[in-house]
Amino acid sequence: MEKRRKLFLKRDPYRAPRDSGLFLRSVRELAEYHTANCEGYARILRERGFDPAMLKTEDDLYKLPVLPTLFFKRNRLFSVPEKKLKVLATSSGTSGSKSVVGLDGRSLFLGVGMMIRFFLYHRVLSPVPVNYIVLGYEPSAHNDMGAAKTAYGTTKFAPALKRVYALRDTGAGYEPDPEGVYEALMRFSKGPFPVRFVGFPAYMYFLADALKKRGVSLKLPRGSKILLGGGWKRFAGEEIDRGEFYELIEKTLGIKRENCLEFYSAVEHPMAYVKCREGHFHIPAYSRVIIRNVSTLEPVEDGSEGLLSFICPLVTSMPLLSVVTDDIAVRHGGGCACGLNTPYFDLKGRAGVKGIKTCAASAAELIGGRDG
Amino acid sequence: MDDLFVKSKADAEKLKKRIAAALSGPALKSETVINACGRLSDELAAPEYTAMLEALGIPGSKASAEIAAARRMLSREYLSYRVSRELQSPGVFTPLFCERPVRQERMPLGVLLHVSAGNVDALPAFSVIEGLLAGNVNLLKLPREDNGLSAAILNSLCETEPKLAPYIEIFDVPSTDTGSLEALCGLADAVVVWGGDEAVKAVRRLAGPGTKLIEWGHKLSFAYASPDADESALSGIAENICATDQLFCSSCQGIFVDTDDFGRVLEFAERFADVLENAAKGYPPSDMRVTAQRTLEAYTEQLEGGDKRVLLRDGCCVTAYRESVLLPAHGFKSCWVRPLPRGEILTAMLPYRGRLQTVGLACREDARDEAAELFLRAGAVRITDGRSMSEEYCGLPHDGELPLQRYTKVVSVETAGIE
Repeated sequence: MEKRRKLFLKRDPYRAPRDSGLFLRSVRELAEYHTANCEGYARILRERGFDPAMLKTEDDLYKLPVLPTLFFKRNRLFSVPEKKLKVLATSSGTSGSKSVVGLDGRSLFLGVGMMIRFFLYHRVLSPVPVNYIVLGYEPSAHNDMGAAKTAYGTTKFAPALKRVYALRDTGAGYEPDPEGVYEALMRFSKGPFPVRFVGFPAYMYFLADALKKRGVSLKLPRGSKILLGGGWKRFAGEEIDRGEFYELIEKTLGIKRENCLEFYSAVEHPMAYVKCREGHFHIPAYSRVIIRNVSTLEPVEDGSEGLLSFICPLVTSMPLLSVVTDDIAVRHGGGCACGLNTPYFDLKGRAGVKGIKTCAASAAELIGGRDG
Repeated sequence: MDDLFVKSKADAEKLKKRIAAALSGPALKSETVINACGRLSDELAAPEYTAMLEALGIPGSKASAEIAAARRMLSREYLSYRVSRELQSPGVFTPLFCERPVRQERMPLGVLLHVSAGNVDALPAFSVIEGLLAGNVNLLKLPREDNGLSAAILNSLCETEPKLAPYIEIFDVPSTDTGSLEALCGLADAVVVWGGDEAVKAVRRLAGPGTKLIEWGHKLSFAYASPDADESALSGIAENICATDQLFCSSCQGIFVDTDDFGRVLEFAERFADVLENAAKGYPPSDMRVTAQRTLEAYTEQLEGGDKRVLLRDGCCVTAYRESVLLPAHGFKSCWVRPLPRGEILTAMLPYRGRLQTVGLACREDARDEAAELFLRAGAVRITDGRSMSEEYCGLPHDGELPLQRYTKVVSVETAGIE
């Protein structure tokens, strides 16, 4: 624990710890811990002929069997009794299956501590009260979607004066409320407090585009920010041009590009990555990114596309040590013009083919669907 | 080609007037439709149509194959043959125990509302053309992810035969616009619904008790093989898996092996994995996202352990399971292999009644007839060999029924007394 505290509670998340072997030792010890406490995980390591003692240098990290996020959508692996879990988070699965990730007290302590330092570094945490415009669902008793919870959680980074939701809870369902958002925005823009927008990039684009069409050009109070997470695809499937997007934001809301932050995170990898002004997700000192070959899952060279996977020794309650997502990405060794020297990754797409619905998959819906 | 008559909202009153006008005109003759389709089939030979498909993102080779198939299915010969086989009228005759003759005649149902699916290119247009052949007025609700192809085809059809225009109304209303959908349902004698269970259930909720439902739901198809099935029969199954990408109702999702010995299932899976790997070489993946998805699925199954055996090969995956259950494959050239001795076919298929479509047989000669009979009794509607599971022929019943027949009714008219 002491070791991991040194790793995760650093003030500058991008500076490597003085003790260069710290990361490897933390991973090895946590792998040993999970092997001893989670029979399902121990079996996987056994079947794949892996022993944590095989982790001798950081170059060995890729050998630690990697678990797909898909695996956690279909199976539960815990290394602590479930009653010890303090928080549960659910991923929003597109195919209907969801990951349930639980954190115990120790993981939560480290995770929250890490997040506070991380967001302080990125100037997201602020004591100044702000007005929130959430471009997503209003939280309610009948919605346990991860996306609603994340958006709500994000409104805790600075004290909230007011929260306005683009999709309002009517008690029976959700209704888009563009007029409500517009009126609130006009009201907020005249006040002294900063405004924060939270949600998906596509929704932010629609809002800014609608403002432009109405000929609106605001100058929101200093400290206003835009916090975005999730996919960049527009509904039609085409990518929004980033340069055009930020220009539109500045023109309509008066928020400069450096105050627009884009996050990457996954329920199965409870960590946040922030896009730098050059458009890259830099890798902090407490995780490693390995891009894997899409057929063999072996590591590929920097600069080549493959499946995005992470190594991170944060969580004790579940073996989330080595996780492969279904995102396609490229890793680069460093040397970014933004000034940060750590390696970074760029997202390139997602596994699978969108928009294809097979006859067979739908036929199975009535039969009862896939198990798990 | 502009979508002149695609409407984004159903105005019930105006629509009612147009429908009444169409119905009160002279009856639509199938020859009129056949001739128009025949001309369209000839026109489709022009290279601009292949280019149009390619512009919609359909790869060149697939585009030419789709055009060729469309030309054949719209040709005069093809449609005349279908009409003559599917729409026979009994005519005038004197029924048993009666003295007076009656005339029995096939008539259109009247107004069809087509609620179409988006998984096959131009399916909505073909659904409407079938409705026209049977003489109906056709209201078409386009699928959500429609690429504009169907409206373009129907536009061309009306250009070549303006008489058809009053019989086609196209709506691009979202499924959430229940007001419009209810209005459309209210005007229809029957709703023809293509698609998944969600679509079928939604239509069942919307349609009143007086509206007939014609459902073309999603089905499952698979192969059935003897453990020692010969190589060429297996390569036929592999070809179907690769060529259709397992996307159609008739695509092979997996193979049941005629044995209860899991050891033999494993042997078979190894053998079939070689065959599938070989076939997959002819169908390289369009991009790495497809490969990535298959790898993640297969690797996750491997990690889950248990009794199954996952054979992840280059460009494909075969997984052997102990349970004799029917599930869709993960797709992207991955296929399951499961035991199913002949004697257990009926029991094992019981939960899937109404869901089975094609069974591709790769059986030993002495087992073939028995297996075919058992699967037909269990609910399957088509028996082929592996290679032709997704191949069509003129007059092929669709999910066990003749579509044109479903879009008509047989009326009985007392003839004036012939004393």
